[in-house]
Amino acid sequence: MSHHLFILSPSDTPLYSLTHLSSRPAAPAPSPLSANLPSWSTSAFAGTLTALSGASSMAQMSTQGGGVRMGGGQDRHVIQMIANASLDMIEDVVRRENGMYLKAVDKFNEWTISAFVTPGNTKFVLLHEGKNDDGIRAFFVEVWELYLKTMMNPFHTAHSTIRSSVFDTRVRASAKKYL
Amino acid sequence: MSAQAKQFKTIGEDLWKTRTEKINAELFAMTYGALVVQLIQDYEDYAEVNTQLEKMGYNIGTRLIEDFLAKSTIGRCADFRETGEVIAKVGFKSFLNVTPTVTFHPGANSASPAPSATAPGSRTSAPPANNPSFTLTLDENPLAEFVELPEETLEGGLWFSNVLCGVLRGALEMIQIRVHAEFVSDVLRGDEKTEIRVRLVQYLEEEVPVGDD
Repeated sequence: MSHHLFILSPSDTPLYSLTHLSSRPAAPAPSPLSANLPSWSTSAFAGTLTALSGASSMAQMSTQGGGVRMGGGQDRHVIQMIANASLDMIEDVVRRENGMYLKAVDKFNEWTISAFVTPGNTKFVLLHEGKNDDGIRAFFVEVWELYLKTMMNPFHTAHSTIRSSVFDTRVRASAKKYL
Repeated sequence: MSAQAKQFKTIGEDLWKTRTEKINAELFAMTYGALVVQLIQDYEDYAEVNTQLEKMGYNIGTRLIEDFLAKSTIGRCADFRETGEVIAKVGFKSFLNVTPTVTFHPGANSASPAPSATAPGSRTSAPPANNPSFTLTLDENPLAEFVELPEETLEGGLWFSNVLCGVLRGALEMIQIRVHAEFVSDVLRGDEKTEIRVRLVQYLEEEVPVGDD
């Protein structure tokens, strides 16, 4: 089961991204939507859908095979597209919800998007399969604390990319712990 | 640790506990960090920023020494080594709550150099290498609490805490000791430890201010 974390600045520029491959078994995935479409459909929509669900099921099959291989460039673009699309949903939920942790804001095929918005309007977006609310909340809180320490650096602004290797190591360790 | 060093240590701790007003360390670190970042933006030349930080430190040091001598009951130091010990154990302790370790390097002429007859106002840019000096090794630096230097600052040669060198120079000059203080290494730059080297230039004689009879 893989997780993708994106940290976005208040102006929605990407500051940090991480792909984490969890060793925990994936929750059973709901059947892909493409099964609902008739097989003769040649529309672009169906093509995209089969490509997406095909890519994800390929990742699942290879997970069971033991070695985990991320799908090639196609998969990566899809992930980023999904993350971007969820930003609108996040803004909606932010207006309604009071706390920082917005649980699952969006769902796409088998990918759920959870979000965490800091008081300074920095967004942490996590794409994941399955359900893991407590673990994800704890993970977000830890990433938030690491992010705060980075923000204390006088040379760092709310819009600078986070390049610190210390931050990277610690986020990875935290992901291993909670996800 | 010698009896004298122990005595300095207790004086320092006592000063820190009773006779200093304290502020939040994070606020202090962030104020200094904002100052350095602004200087970098204004001057855009890291060597110049180093100089400005040192100048600011000099102004702080000239005022700090009066406060320090008033609060602590320490009298005249016998030699340069004792000066180093007092600075580390009492001075740094009472102002920053850190105690750097002192490593003393005696000069080639072990007796304290006699005040030279140089004209007032002449200043050697680099003191003779055989003058006594001491090195202060800071285990922790409250000024640089959360700081990570970006690449350009590393290449440009910025000493982030250069204000400390200025403070040492200013304070000692007010008590008739001219020194040259500079950073040798800094953990922010990737070195193993943070070290300031303070080298004696000369002991100053009481000089008649220009213009008096």
